[in-house]
Amino acid sequence: MTKQMDFDLLVIGAGPGGYHAAIRAAQLGLKVACAEREALGGVCLNVGCIPTKALLHAGEMMAAAHEAADFGLSFGEQKLNVQKLNGWKDGIVKKLTGGVGALFKANKVTHLVGQASFVDPHTVKVGDKTYTASNIIIATGSEPARLPGLEVDQQNIVDSTGALVVPDPIPARMLCVGGGVIGFEFAHVYNNLGAKVKVIEFLPSIIPGADADAVKEFSKAMKKQGIEIETQTKANKAEKKADGIHVELESVKTGEKRTEVFDRVLVAVGRRPRTDGLNAQAAGVTVTDRGFIPADREQRTNVPHIYAIGDVAGNPMLAHKAMKEGLVAAEVVAGKPAAQDAVAIPGVVYTSPELAWVGLTEQEAKDKGYQVKTGNFPFSASGRAMTLQQTDGFVKMVVEKDTDLVLGVHIVGPHASDMLGEASLALEMAATAADIALTIHAHPTLGESVLEAAEAVHKQAIHIMNR
Amino acid sequence: GRQVIPAAPSVRRLARELHVDIHDVHGSGIAGRISEEDVRRAAGTPSVA
Repeated sequence: MTKQMDFDLLVIGAGPGGYHAAIRAAQLGLKVACAEREALGGVCLNVGCIPTKALLHAGEMMAAAHEAADFGLSFGEQKLNVQKLNGWKDGIVKKLTGGVGALFKANKVTHLVGQASFVDPHTVKVGDKTYTASNIIIATGSEPARLPGLEVDQQNIVDSTGALVVPDPIPARMLCVGGGVIGFEFAHVYNNLGAKVKVIEFLPSIIPGADADAVKEFSKAMKKQGIEIETQTKANKAEKKADGIHVELESVKTGEKRTEVFDRVLVAVGRRPRTDGLNAQAAGVTVTDRGFIPADREQRTNVPHIYAIGDVAGNPMLAHKAMKEGLVAAEVVAGKPAAQDAVAIPGVVYTSPELAWVGLTEQEAKDKGYQVKTGNFPFSASGRAMTLQQTDGFVKMVVEKDTDLVLGVHIVGPHASDMLGEASLALEMAATAADIALTIHAHPTLGESVLEAAEAVHKQAIHIMNR
Repeated sequence: GRQVIPAAPSVRRLARELHVDIHDVHGSGIAGRISEEDVRRAAGTPSVA
């Protein structure tokens, strides 16, 4: 007879991946524990997706109040109570993280508080107690990558966590080091709150991974709002002086150096997997040089009863990817034939306009050997976008020429993130552009632009000239 | 080369349940789309319609 284990499944980490895994496993009848050393909900709920989106909304309301003057609505002088803004944001976080705790209770998931570290392949120490489990899921997440020369103090030089606390007064000049999703979301927040913002990116293009046309359109919209963008630029060092933070910037192309002064610097140059304190070697789990724990389609590590999900398992580091992988791992543990077989993982930048995409970019499709057709529909031709006063951007659809199968959808525009659900479903269902074009979309809606982009693929969009 | 498997998520799951490699299944639908029936046929257990 085998030794009785304390749990069928022990999940390490209660972020999006971890709590999804724990709850799904409990739904499937397993005895589950979830260990968390910090707050329930992980990075996404506490210091990531949720508080960032709250600040973005606040900034957009301020911008929208100005724009309302175009249709005769004025609100008088804007006054921002920074303390209240921070409090409102924190309240949302508290409500959601409390919700995770309530879901754990309702699903009878045992919440273990403390740092978890492996003792052996079936034993995990959490705090000062040890627990045994038949299966273990590693969901320890990631943390902001560091940049030598720019030491984060969370006051003047901040990472994404520090940037979530809006200072009073709002910094006059702000530098965002890193032109990825996080860099641009904070650039947008602080630009709307009144800062003069510059974004620098080491690579030739911002938002790596996004479609080149979409990035160009997005970049144009950001610049129109006053955000400065310098690509192929790096920050070497930062020094705090009486008049501000002196940052040495260097052109990657020419090697030319110059110093500029800012009131706040955000370091957003990526994230690195977090496995500190985990003692994965005690379980024989492979950790790569970069700190990732590789997993297969069933989310299994090299040790078959130990799984890895979310940021720690690899890129892209996105909450919805972690959630899916958590469900897959939990279902595999429960003996179900699950696999991480998603056609595409959507990506979103929650600025205004938003940049959202799913599937292959035009270039990626070509690189993979597809013959492609594309269709574009600009929001400037959308009646709904006009009524919302948000006509920047477009929907671009990338389609396989012969089969008409949709390979990718790239949206720059209002509510692009919400429209993306249709595109994701289209890819998962192997929809053709014709399927989308033949589907009645409500009028007037922003979503019609997806239909019109599909029509444009066939050169028969109605609201634009087809070329 | 082509990488898209033109099958809905539920059809892909069915293939796993029936131990069929979805890559080996011939799709009888538009654009080579693979139906539930295509998977059952590949598994040698077609359902009675």
